[in-house]
Amino acid sequence: MQTFLLQSLNGIQLSMLIFLLAAGLTLIFGLMGILNLAHGAFFTIGAYSGWLAASATGSFWAALFIGPIVPFAIGFLLQSVVLQPLIERGRSTHLDLALLTFGFLFATAGAVEYLFGPSFYSIPTPAVLSGNVAVLSVNYPVYRLFVIGVGLLVAGLLFLVIERTLVGATLRAGVDNREMVTAMGINIKAVFAIVFGCGAALAGFAGIIAAPIMSIYSQMGIGIVVTTFVVVVVGGLGNLKGSFYGALFVGMTDTMAQAYLPEAELFAIYVLLVGMMMFRPQGLFGKAGRVA
Amino acid sequence: MIDRTVNEPEVAAVRGSRSDRARVTQLIVAVICIVAIVALPWACGDYGLTLATEIVIAGIFAAGLNVLIGYTGLASAGHAMFVGLGGYGIGIGSAIYGWPLWTSVPVSLVCVAAISAAVGAICTRTRGVEFLLITLAFCQMFFGAAVKLPLTNGTDGMAGIPRPDLSTLGLNSEIPAVFYVYVLTVALASFALLARIVQSPFGSVLVAIRENESRAVAMGYAVGPYKIGAFVLSAVICAVAGVLQAQYTYFINPDAMSWQASGEGILMVVIGGANAVMGPFIGAAVFVLVKQGLSLITSEYNLFFGVFFMLVIAFFRDGIVGTFRTLAGRRP
Repeated sequence: MQTFLLQSLNGIQLSMLIFLLAAGLTLIFGLMGILNLAHGAFFTIGAYSGWLAASATGSFWAALFIGPIVPFAIGFLLQSVVLQPLIERGRSTHLDLALLTFGFLFATAGAVEYLFGPSFYSIPTPAVLSGNVAVLSVNYPVYRLFVIGVGLLVAGLLFLVIERTLVGATLRAGVDNREMVTAMGINIKAVFAIVFGCGAALAGFAGIIAAPIMSIYSQMGIGIVVTTFVVVVVGGLGNLKGSFYGALFVGMTDTMAQAYLPEAELFAIYVLLVGMMMFRPQGLFGKAGRVA
Repeated sequence: MIDRTVNEPEVAAVRGSRSDRARVTQLIVAVICIVAIVALPWACGDYGLTLATEIVIAGIFAAGLNVLIGYTGLASAGHAMFVGLGGYGIGIGSAIYGWPLWTSVPVSLVCVAAISAAVGAICTRTRGVEFLLITLAFCQMFFGAAVKLPLTNGTDGMAGIPRPDLSTLGLNSEIPAVFYVYVLTVALASFALLARIVQSPFGSVLVAIRENESRAVAMGYAVGPYKIGAFVLSAVICAVAGVLQAQYTYFINPDAMSWQASGEGILMVVIGGANAVMGPFIGAAVFVLVKQGLSLITSEYNLFFGVFFMLVIAFFRDGIVGTFRTLAGRRP
């Protein structure tokens, strides 16, 4: 029972980390129809820029707030300088731009290796959040509880912003009818670039949050972003609610498989994926497309 | 790739409408190309032979991937998994079970066909970008399996993969030129098989799926099995490339099925122009030469490769063949 509780907490913590990535991916895809295959790169970039900020200021909190600026700026520029002009030249958003971000993934992996070398780095856990605390009958690291809290907070904030504010209403209108939003006097290109930047910043934020738990290296984003891809397919691409529940499903499956069926650990989330594809290929919350 | 109108003469045109003169010209060009391909390595020496062998192997990989990307309109970002499975197939068959190649190669290909049928049945239930995601995820799964399972010797990979024994023909496949001819023979056989299949009614249905899946369904085609068929065909051809690659380097390790390898495959198909018949081969040639060039001038291969990748997608979306055709004004 103790192990089960411990593993459940671990599972929720992993799910929240994945959710931060999936939320960014979903925001970008939902609004612009661009699948950002380089999303893992922003996770890595965020972790490195957080590490730079942490080593310059000596404070985890500075890293947490300064770090996401770099992925935001890169995401903003990628959208406004590279992707937007291509969309205007009539490229199909779906595949061409997804492939372009695939190239970007190579470039960032190379750039990070060039700048930081093959060494491993780490951001130390802040003093306030170190140590353990008793949760029911389990001794659990405070920092991991903090990750869970941040994940829930971000989920709540995103929900509030998107469903309850004017900014969110603009975004939802942009998803439904881009021309109409432009006609209302909103600079949709700026909105696109900012949303892309925010999605990237969320991924970078996840990278910084993850840094005290996992070490920072150039390929750190690959493993987790593949899990994120499974999450968005399970949850339904472009659906925020779907990515939240998808992240919980996938994160729990992964953690439980690691704990109880270590031989099957590699394949567990794919079994989930296979099941989903057999019974609901459009994902948990996706809408079924017309077949004929 | 998906939302393109019919504009590919090789595939979509009614075959009978082409004039005989055009056919003769095409035949002459093809013969010149083949003679050049066979003769070129000897003209360029050992280094040329190494490059040519790599180009032909990469060309088979690209041709296999092109069945899905070019003909069916399903962009897979994970086909390196089948290249790796082909290589590991003969690695495990030869090194662990001690089978001769004429057993281990067919067994590997049959296994790849079975695995790809299962993976394809799952992946083809999605389309577009979700297909991209899901194939990439499966590729990472096999990559993880190759790293972690005891059978495959982890990240060190498996060495000592045998080349074919051609002594009955009085040849030794350890000699680079002989191995090149062997690779070329396999490549031509694969290309001929692919060309035959894509021109068959099966191939026409694949093109129909690419152009308008709903309409293909409305015409009464069960598109599911066709898509899985295309997936299996492309996987098996990729596995052939994997077998040759493993024999060429005597070695297979998990890097053969990394996401980078899958990305390189996509790039070759895109450079070649997703639909042209000779495209994958040209794409492979450009890719291998650029890779060689980059490795001469920089050690940061990924960085420059990524930039090159983005430039190709942004400016040469129709591929080298398509771009030249547009420049020559042959396309409307």
